[in-house]
Amino acid sequence: MNRAVTYEVLMFTSVSHALRAEKILKEAGIPFKLIPVPRHISSDCGVCLRFSPDYRKQIEEALAGKVDVSEIRVL
Amino acid sequence: MAKIIDAKGLACPEPVILTKKALEQQDAVTVIVDDDIAVGNIKRLGAKLGRTINIEKKEGGISHIHISSGVQAGKQPVAGKDTDTVHYESCDQNTLVFVISSDRMGRGDDELGYVLIRSFIHTLLTLNPLPDTIIFYNTGVKLAARDSEVIDDLKQLEKAGVSILVCGTCTNYFGISNALGAGCISNMYDIASTMAGAGRLITP
Repeated sequence: MNRAVTYEVLMFTSVSHALRAEKILKEAGIPFKLIPVPRHISSDCGVCLRFSPDYRKQIEEALAGKVDVSEIRVL
Repeated sequence: MAKIIDAKGLACPEPVILTKKALEQQDAVTVIVDDDIAVGNIKRLGAKLGRTINIEKKEGGISHIHISSGVQAGKQPVAGKDTDTVHYESCDQNTLVFVISSDRMGRGDDELGYVLIRSFIHTLLTLNPLPDTIIFYNTGVKLAARDSEVIDDLKQLEKAGVSILVCGTCTNYFGISNALGAGCISNMYDIASTMAGAGRLITP
């Protein structure tokens, strides 16, 4: 899993927020991937959305005012 | 007299194909190969067909594989006359097989189940050691389709040596046999024998 590509993740306060964000990003055609929250970030059984930093601005704009994003972190 | 097939220098899967063809016409076949991958593949083929196999190691990395019609000793299966007997290699306690029988994880809420199964498949990549085989059937096969959201994970698992078996009856039922993105179309014989030969069999 050692890849040169770096990713960022969108974290949410609940799974339903993650699902809402997923729906919006899918409709907007922005690539992302739903993954479990990495263990080094949290041991909770949660999911987050992983994306390439190239799309960060687009994602932030698409979700602004629609979904509560708790945090955006670099993986 | 056994038919002799000289498969030295042939690349995989050629030796296996030649052996399979010969076994359709002949009870006893000796295959001469010069690489270990071919030995393993032919051994598996023989086991699958329920033949007795003897491997004779020669000099220079050459192996003579003798396949004869004798059924391997052990419990005799109670198969109907219309069914091929399914043989499997005796299990290695460490063989790890995952069975994905649905494109949802758990029962109850489908939307949540779809989140969980994607998360689960992604996590399989982090297992050390990796599973040996992942079997997909019923709606599980949709996860192996080209447009699946976990197809990159499955491709990576496959690249890392995980064998991915996808139920052909199921891909046919859903009309996605030509749209497979990872793994290979398999049948109930392979699926049943892989499950029977597993040291550990896990269904999420």
